[in-house]
Amino acid sequence: MSSVPGRSSSRRFLPPDPRVEEPYRFTPKLAVRVGMLGALALAVFAVLLLRLWGLQILAGSQYLRDAQNNQLRTVRVPAPRGPILDREGRVLVWNQPGTAIQLWPADLPKQGRYAMLQRLAGVIAVPISQIADQLQRHAGDPVTPVTVANWVNDKAHEQQVDYLLEHASDFPGVEVAQTTLRQYPRSTLAAQLLGYVGEISAPELKQLSKDGYRAGDRIGQAGVEAAYDSLLRGQPGIAQLRVDSLGRPRSALTLEQQPQVGNAVRLTVDMMLQQTAERALRFSIDLAHRSKNPYADGGAIVALDPRDGSVLALASNPTYDPSVYVGRVDPKKLAPLVDAQAARQANYPTIDRALDGVYPPGSIFKPAVALAALQEHIVSPYQLVSCTPTYTVKAQYGQQVFKNWDPYFSQAITLPEALARSCDTYFYQLGYDFYQLPPDRGHPLQAWAHSFGFGSPTGIDVGPDGSGLLPDPEWRQATYTKKTDPCCWQIDRLWKPGDSIQLAIGQKDLLVTPIQMARFYAMIANGGSLVTPHVFEDVEQPSPRGSLPQVLRRYTASPPQPTGVDPSALAVVKQGLYDATHQTYGTSSGIFSSFPVPIAGKTGTAEKVVQLPDGTSKLLNQSWFCGYGPFDGTDYKGRPPIVVCAIVENGGHGGDTAAPAALQVFEQWFGLHVPPATVFPPDLSR
Amino acid sequence: MIEYAGSGSGRGERAVRGELAQVGLLARRIDWLLMLAVVGLVAYGLWAIAGITRHDVAGDPGYFARRQAIYVVLGAVGFLLGFLVDPEFLQRRKRLVYGLTVGAMVLVFLAGSVSRGSRRWISLGSFQLQPSEFGKLLFVLALAGFAASRPRRTTSIRAVLEIVLIGLFPILLVFVQPDIGTALVYLAALAAVLFVSGVRWLHLGVLAAVTVLGVVGVLWLLPAAGVHPLKQYQVDRLIGFTNPSKDPSGTTYNINQSMTAVGAGGLRGRGVSGATQTALSYLPEHQTDFVFASLSEQRGFVGGAFLLLLYLLVVWRGLRVITVAQDVFGAIVAGGIVVGLLFQVFVNIGMTMGIAPITGIPAPFLSVGGSAMVANLTAIGVLQSIHARGRLGLRRRGGSR
Repeated sequence: MSSVPGRSSSRRFLPPDPRVEEPYRFTPKLAVRVGMLGALALAVFAVLLLRLWGLQILAGSQYLRDAQNNQLRTVRVPAPRGPILDREGRVLVWNQPGTAIQLWPADLPKQGRYAMLQRLAGVIAVPISQIADQLQRHAGDPVTPVTVANWVNDKAHEQQVDYLLEHASDFPGVEVAQTTLRQYPRSTLAAQLLGYVGEISAPELKQLSKDGYRAGDRIGQAGVEAAYDSLLRGQPGIAQLRVDSLGRPRSALTLEQQPQVGNAVRLTVDMMLQQTAERALRFSIDLAHRSKNPYADGGAIVALDPRDGSVLALASNPTYDPSVYVGRVDPKKLAPLVDAQAARQANYPTIDRALDGVYPPGSIFKPAVALAALQEHIVSPYQLVSCTPTYTVKAQYGQQVFKNWDPYFSQAITLPEALARSCDTYFYQLGYDFYQLPPDRGHPLQAWAHSFGFGSPTGIDVGPDGSGLLPDPEWRQATYTKKTDPCCWQIDRLWKPGDSIQLAIGQKDLLVTPIQMARFYAMIANGGSLVTPHVFEDVEQPSPRGSLPQVLRRYTASPPQPTGVDPSALAVVKQGLYDATHQTYGTSSGIFSSFPVPIAGKTGTAEKVVQLPDGTSKLLNQSWFCGYGPFDGTDYKGRPPIVVCAIVENGGHGGDTAAPAALQVFEQWFGLHVPPATVFPPDLSR
Repeated sequence: MIEYAGSGSGRGERAVRGELAQVGLLARRIDWLLMLAVVGLVAYGLWAIAGITRHDVAGDPGYFARRQAIYVVLGAVGFLLGFLVDPEFLQRRKRLVYGLTVGAMVLVFLAGSVSRGSRRWISLGSFQLQPSEFGKLLFVLALAGFAASRPRRTTSIRAVLEIVLIGLFPILLVFVQPDIGTALVYLAALAAVLFVSGVRWLHLGVLAAVTVLGVVGVLWLLPAAGVHPLKQYQVDRLIGFTNPSKDPSGTTYNINQSMTAVGAGGLRGRGVSGATQTALSYLPEHQTDFVFASLSEQRGFVGGAFLLLLYLLVVWRGLRVITVAQDVFGAIVAGGIVVGLLFQVFVNIGMTMGIAPITGIPAPFLSVGGSAMVANLTAIGVLQSIHARGRLGLRRRGGSR
């Protein structure tokens, strides 16, 4: 080190010795290279600084917005659903405060997750398999909390909520949130009509996402809740939540947009009448049991305003309490609603029999046949036709004999009397006459029945809207093929005299729903126009306490469709229906003749092959009554006219079981309370 | 002094005193501006890290800052070591130094722990030793040793190729760890060594052309021929920065989040609690690879530019050390160290702003990490040693004239 200068100084003027290293000097050449490195360094820093300037100063606001959007997550705050009211504004469904137990999937612990969920399952008494299921269904969506339990705020759940809140640190990712739940203050009242609310399913979401529905939303699943969900659900609020990069919430919700409470939906249904109808059904089923019809176990009542199709009552029995869908779901209580085996045991309580139950109508279909026969000039109103105990018709192989229900009556009668007496043989004759019409006349009986609304949905605004079955020769051809009926299709596909004859008394293949039947009687009552039944009256904006609610939209009823029925023909049929309830020979005069309001109506006793619980099948009578009043279509003491159709499954004769139920509905509607027992001794049997 | 230099054996009290006096003389001749810049960088970095990592460890906001402070203390020891060891000693022991470099790389293969698909670290209790960081300094020292021992002959192509081959071996070892980023730093240092040692422009041009061909071959030609020397994620990271919006949730997620963080900082920065990209963990690796993005988010253009200026000061003073070096070895070492630093600064900071490939290169003196901090401070010690000894030699030379 120190020897270098000495050595170099001593040989300064000698030529360089190749064996000796040249002493180091900072040469101009190296200076240039260092200078170049410096320039490179300056260039590098200039680039970095310019880039920093560009990002932070020139594009800073853009990136700032990105950064803010990064951490703010928009969360939907569900709006409380609107209430459902009856026509008088009485509450049928509203809300109650509840507690939701929610899981934030992203925040669940990675290790020991199963153990924690198992502990949670124990605390909230929800099976772990169900929780796992829920999480599985929401996999891939870590930002929407998964609701594993909804509790009504009551004493029973207070302890569990307290426990979860106290031990919150043991349950990371579990949130105890406030929510609103459906409450049914009238318990089972109109359960099938009102429907229930449940979490949106994947297929529903697929279909409805364009209408603003999102995963986790609760949505009407049946009845009015489903049909008018868009009105009831309100507008979910929008809240912002600060989250980290894993989506874990880091702040409380801040509301950007208040949720808008759903609107109130007012129904045309009269709560008191609905109550009466449901009680009347239970009463009639009980009555049927006592009059030796042990298999009576269900039924329906439809009450309509014949002028515009407003549904006044829509009862279906058996029923259920929709609150089993709310809060902690009790599997035992829910089973009849979702499990096939249990549902059969409970006779399918979720089916709305008034809208979707299909039955053979029996004699209540006779007015339709009478109208068709008059229109087609098959019979004239006061032409005498013999009503005999049996009716015999030549069939392909020998003779076929059809019986009248009354084996002791044999006389020639007019059409009104045939309706009043419900003479089967009279109508057999009409049916056979229809059968014998030349082919170029088509199938006028079915054509008229079709224009009276049979065989197609009624167009009611809540589901399910059954269409029943109106058989005709084409239907037989299409239904009975080699495939479906290998043994006998060649015979079965033919429309035979018996088909027309039995159709004339509403038997064999014909199937109707109670609402179709009520619509048909409404047509008779209102002078020949087919109404579209509806339960929706109006939608109202909830208003501050004390002030009147503001009606947003009323139901725009489609005008009743004229069926083209001749008024004089209608008058004859009306006469027959009035006689049925008032003449001594009328099938329900015992019940309606002394009723202060003139009621016209028809009983029906339809035979149906019923599968019994023990596996055997038996021909049982479906008990029907359809009627309307006041007969002249005017108001009775300020009460508008009403059409009532009642059916009791396997309930025996229409006059014995269904007519008393209908009577109670009329009594309630016209404000004539007569205790049922005084009208109808409990031990009466035919 | 002459006695000291001449005495190879008999060490008495005088010798020790002489040594201490030598150290005192040396210490007075360090580059004070370089010292100021490095101390400023380290202090500024510690302050920045304290803010950046405040939300990282729940319940212990000072965890990383404390660790980093310990590394700085260790780094100060490294600085002293680098400063006190005579570069000539290192030059003489170039084969040992080279052996150490290669040995460290091999050790990583034998004892290293695998993390995120690569084998870079050796666990020492709660610390993780990253030999390739120390390797940067050793590599430069060894190469400079070989280059300086044949100062005339670096003009011959044979000598150049020898040095290149000597250098490529450790580079290959780093490359297959795999740690492409560090391998690139080594490559930059190798280029600097060749450049400063006076390799001819023609030779430099040929080498540059071969390098470009090699890169093209690795990235395009070999994959096209069915050979894949790089893993797909490496290719994505290397070329992903050219088009960051292509795949925002995948490869380029980091780069987008990083640029968002930098941009959101604006002029004055968002502060420690307002810097959501950092605090809410949108920014990955924000205490190491993406530390500059966090710093820019929290401290804004003012804070980022200040850091860049400190780096520039270090690089400028480092380049100046080349000019005061008393021998070619010192000049080459200084050049290799400074260019290595410059390259790391550019790639790391450029990466956070989307103008350089994503490689796992830490920001010198800023990123949390013991190996890098100690290695870099030791390198500064070597720089200061070269500077001080050069100054001392200058004065002595001037005195003898």
